[in-house]
Amino acid sequence: MRQGLSSGMTLADARARSPDLATAPHDPIADARVLEQLAGAMIAFTPLVALDAPDGLLLDVTGCAHLFGGEEALVRRVVKEVGPTTRHALAPHSAAARALARFGGKDDVRTLPVAALELDEGALSGLRRAGLETLGDLAARPMAGLAARFGELAVSRLRAILGETGSPVIPVRLTEPIRLETRFPEPLGRTDDALEVVEDMLTQAGRTMEQRQLGGRRWAVTLHRSDNQRRRLVVETGLAVRDPGAVMRLLRERIDTLSDPLDPGFGFDAITLAVLHADHLPSRQILLESGKEENADNVSALVDQLSVRLGEDSVRRLIPRDRHLPEKAQALVPALRLRGAPWPEPEDMPPRPLLLLDPPQPVEVIAGVPDSPPQRFRWKGRLHDVILAEGPERIGAEWWLKRGGHMPGAAGETRDYYRIEDGAGRRYWIFRHGLFSEKPDPRWYLHGLFP
Amino acid sequence: MSRPQAPACIEDPPPGTLPRLARAQLHEVHAAAEDWASALAFAFGMVDAEKARPVLLLRPRRKGAGFVPCGEGLRALGVDPARLVIVDARNDAALLRAGLDAARSSGPAAVLMESWGPMREYDLVASRRLILAAEGSRIPVVILRGDAEPRSSAAHTRWTVSSAPSAPLEMRAPGATTLLVELVRRRGGPAGQRWRLEWNEDHGGFRELPLDTQPATEERGPPLPGTVVPLSAVRTRAPLRRTA
Repeated sequence: MRQGLSSGMTLADARARSPDLATAPHDPIADARVLEQLAGAMIAFTPLVALDAPDGLLLDVTGCAHLFGGEEALVRRVVKEVGPTTRHALAPHSAAARALARFGGKDDVRTLPVAALELDEGALSGLRRAGLETLGDLAARPMAGLAARFGELAVSRLRAILGETGSPVIPVRLTEPIRLETRFPEPLGRTDDALEVVEDMLTQAGRTMEQRQLGGRRWAVTLHRSDNQRRRLVVETGLAVRDPGAVMRLLRERIDTLSDPLDPGFGFDAITLAVLHADHLPSRQILLESGKEENADNVSALVDQLSVRLGEDSVRRLIPRDRHLPEKAQALVPALRLRGAPWPEPEDMPPRPLLLLDPPQPVEVIAGVPDSPPQRFRWKGRLHDVILAEGPERIGAEWWLKRGGHMPGAAGETRDYYRIEDGAGRRYWIFRHGLFSEKPDPRWYLHGLFP
Repeated sequence: MSRPQAPACIEDPPPGTLPRLARAQLHEVHAAAEDWASALAFAFGMVDAEKARPVLLLRPRRKGAGFVPCGEGLRALGVDPARLVIVDARNDAALLRAGLDAARSSGPAAVLMESWGPMREYDLVASRRLILAAEGSRIPVVILRGDAEPRSSAAHTRWTVSSAPSAPLEMRAPGATTLLVELVRRRGGPAGQRWRLEWNEDHGGFRELPLDTQPATEERGPPLPGTVVPLSAVRTRAPLRRTA
């Protein structure tokens, strides 16, 4: 602002005015998310928070200010919470507050410029040409004439800002988190009893979630011991679930794999259950014949169970990636995070081995120079004679990912892949890392086994 | 045994034909580490599994360089890579436990378990448990044993699989997947047969080849420099003449 920059300016123009300008691409989705988070944080000050798109928040602090020691103190705390770059205004109704916060001015809305009406450029310049600079000037004129010349919108905005018509606040309705707590008059001495209580709580939580059409993905159970120790157990599921039995199985699995076993000590005083992450899960039809719920992906329960026991990174699926290098053309991702991604239709490409060696293993090779398949190679100390060979399949390095990779000679090493069969009938995938024109002594690697 | 052996039904294949890795049974596949791809290809190609459901591949964590299944390679065997779920177990005990849980649930189409070395935890009791689980869920369970001596177990079949020389394509390129498999043991049936199998891409299955017709070596061998002339039959077979 101070250097003459404003929104809507071209980048070249802005850079000309301020050469050391830091720039970042505009990400409206991230902005909206931050705004929603801020709205969530404002719930500490008032229950009625509304989003004022794209970059504002409206807080209805009627009856709230005295809790924080007056309006000024409240504003100070809000500004401290949000950040020092905030512009704020207090007004009897939301349209006036918005106009005051965005277009400056003192507490009197009549001194605001006509730009506060947020009309299009044509109407605004028409108002200015007519000598009407402030809202006070406008308010003194008959409304009918204004509506005839500058449109009905000008009048309705003006009347809203002046407080002649209502400007309701539509608050963001924050959903109440699903959190249950059970306290016991006497501490529970056995873990099994505590787990039964947890199962009851899960059933209750399931009922609440069914009303909201939700299913839990992340569950946290906290066991409060009477000596003020807490144990927190978190389980995750790949699909949203409401079934208490499924969550109980995972919890028992988690308890079994604890490195530090669950010890009730002098007993548990209280148990809390929280659903940390929930997804939409519509009510399912119950099948008449069997009475069981339909189950679409029948391996997901098993994946959840194994993920809890062995760790999320131990249960994985293969997904395709749009890369050329064979080891990067696929990736292993936790099955909990992703349900089978469809693979693209096969392209017409040379065959790939069934197993890839990770990482490729260096082998000693005797091969003709420059572009002949290997004649003999030594892997793990054993010599293999090559009987049949096919190739090369040439795969270039990913120069576009390398800094300066587009320069000649800096692209990285090209690989020449050969499919070979040795005397024992075993088929291998072997490559020379680099052409003879790229480096004097390229090495050979074994990269895969064909069946 | 309390349970009588099931009598041969009409659906049973005639003796001598290649049995598949049937459902509700436990199968063992032995192979060397160099033939591991062949063992996996045999398991994926011969297992009698539903086409749409996921296949579980359980492996123990290994030190050093490991094998990663390649999606495109799986597709060549008619397995959609999106169906594969890979489970890494900490050790053999965890592997067997995870395998047992997988075999109990009726979700997956098949459960394949990789194992290496002697694997002390895998015995008659463990294999019997796996069979009971497989019978309950009606899915096939295959345990692949790398670099291992056969141990007594309750498995229905035991196979040894190795790669075999393929029929060369044009320009001396390696041909289709060719395996040499031997049915070492089979509960309630003859064993000891051997087959030479070739993957038939058009039909998406293994095709039996005659056992004895190895591709002629003179066609296969490259003209290596300095090839040694083989010893003549007279020199090798003729009995030594007494000189005294």
